[in-house]
Amino acid sequence: MVIRDNDWLTIALPKGKLFGLSRSLFEAVGIEAEGLEEDSRKLVITNEEKKVKFIIAKTADVPTYVEYGAADIGVIGKDVLEESGQDVYELLDLGFGRCHLMMAVPAADRRENLHDYAHTRVATKFPHLAEKFFTGCGMQMEYIKMNGSIELGPIVGLSESIVDIVETGTTLRENNLVEIAHIMDASARLIANRGSFRLKFDRIHGLAEAMKAELAKRQK
Amino acid sequence: MNNQEAALKIPYGTRDYLPAEAADKRRVESAIAAAFAAWGYDEVVTPTIEYLDNLTMGSGAALEPHMFKLFDKDNRTLALRHEMTTPIARLAASRLKDASLPLRLSYISDVYRYEQAQAGRQCEFFQAGVELMGSDNAAADAEVIALAIRTIVAAGLDDFTVCLGQVNYIRAVLRELGLDDEGRRLVEKAMEKHDLVGLEKIARELELPETAAEIIMELPVLHGGPELLAKAETLTGSEDAQAAISNLKNIYALLDDYGVADRVVFDLGVIRDFGYYTGMVFEAYAPGLGFPLAGGGRYDNLLSDFGRPCPATGFALGIDRLMLAKERQGQGAVRVARDVYVGYGTGNSSEAIRKAMELRAEGKTVLTGLSSETRAEAEAEAKAQLAAELVYIG
Repeated sequence: MVIRDNDWLTIALPKGKLFGLSRSLFEAVGIEAEGLEEDSRKLVITNEEKKVKFIIAKTADVPTYVEYGAADIGVIGKDVLEESGQDVYELLDLGFGRCHLMMAVPAADRRENLHDYAHTRVATKFPHLAEKFFTGCGMQMEYIKMNGSIELGPIVGLSESIVDIVETGTTLRENNLVEIAHIMDASARLIANRGSFRLKFDRIHGLAEAMKAELAKRQK
Repeated sequence: MNNQEAALKIPYGTRDYLPAEAADKRRVESAIAAAFAAWGYDEVVTPTIEYLDNLTMGSGAALEPHMFKLFDKDNRTLALRHEMTTPIARLAASRLKDASLPLRLSYISDVYRYEQAQAGRQCEFFQAGVELMGSDNAAADAEVIALAIRTIVAAGLDDFTVCLGQVNYIRAVLRELGLDDEGRRLVEKAMEKHDLVGLEKIARELELPETAAEIIMELPVLHGGPELLAKAETLTGSEDAQAAISNLKNIYALLDDYGVADRVVFDLGVIRDFGYYTGMVFEAYAPGLGFPLAGGGRYDNLLSDFGRPCPATGFALGIDRLMLAKERQGQGAVRVARDVYVGYGTGNSSEAIRKAMELRAEGKTVLTGLSSETRAEAEAEAKAQLAAELVYIG
């Protein structure tokens, strides 16, 4: 495989709630492509004139595309980025997709202290971040890695608690769960490959600056 | 795992090189060895296993969790070398301690790190590099960078860029801005992690004057040609920072003399490892390869850890990454091919062997049949063995 021209910029966007917001931010700074839809059948969408390629990826794969340089830049939630542990440039906090990572337990049999949960089972999509948090609290836990509907864990007796991201807290309330520990805040980030950031510095840095200005304008 | 299954597997992070890949690797390594020799860097070979205590001097402490470890008979902890600079520093401080300085040494070695396998880097991977010990002049740094560039070119890669930085500049600016040890540590860690968002947060939380926070945010994006140095100078009044910039100017002027300055851009965000490097640092990047191809810098403190204080500078180049970058740029492996296949009919094997030896003496790659065969069989065999030409002795 012979690699793409150095003039091109490849951008990885995650499916899901960040997709539309990311696309409109890129549009606002003059980077768009015809047919860039989340449910597009095409996996790579190209704008020949602006020399841009978009890759639409599964959320958890975006940091991988960027770390390996398959994409020069990408948009990803800080939670997913931190969990992946991948070495990329974190250029800009895009401000949207705000949520926080927390620990929740069934409201009905809530224990008095966080430490009362030591050596219990915790269901999570974020085993690395959960472990870092609990280790920091001096707690050893049993981690159960899940890929969705984490809040089901305590209900069906799979785990005593969950570690998951929360935006509004509605899902927690609906499932009679209560937050007992705040782990970290997260929001969408613009990330760049280490090599691309240096080899295509002017373009990527310029783009990050334009986005920063656009976000500041929106805040007013 | 039953026996046969086990017999067909290799451990995580290792790989086999099939003939075409091994030939390409050998070619690349030969070109590298020739370049090192032409610049007077003598090759050394050190043990694959060393005492863990030795390897964790210098940059090794942070990598200690990623080392392959084992015990010797007296229960001392051994480790597979994770890089070559530390073993060479040990050499320079022990068996080579009376050798006259400057000392120019080189290596082409396998090294081991137990970590997530990446593009062009397995747990076992191959590095080539040099160490220049005994000089703190910009001339030594420039020589090492120029040699890195000439080596990559000689190994057959055309398109790459070297990003040059200076850790003393960052250090001096942070000191000048009045950051305490803890503040400096946080800023340096965010820069090492390439976390510009975290850096901004830290800068705000330190409650520095607004201009100071802005300068901190500026540091990782100081990237550009020679004109960048003028800009970097205006950000600071610190003498140490100015000295770092003039060091880069001196190095750049020498790189121009070497005819390689067009490959170099300044990037003061290149840091690699604050705890280890003490002067200029650089990384080489190639399009399509998301990871640095080569990296190095000045490390004046490592040798004093071994009891022989001595300034030093050097670089290491990832051979697998170089090969991958070549492949991505369409300069990859060529197929293994032979010039001649010598086949023979019944009773003619002696003459066939003589003929094959003659052709080899002419410098040709020659295969000889292992049994007598008809001309048609020999033609088919020559083709199957990728020989360009058939010599048949009937």
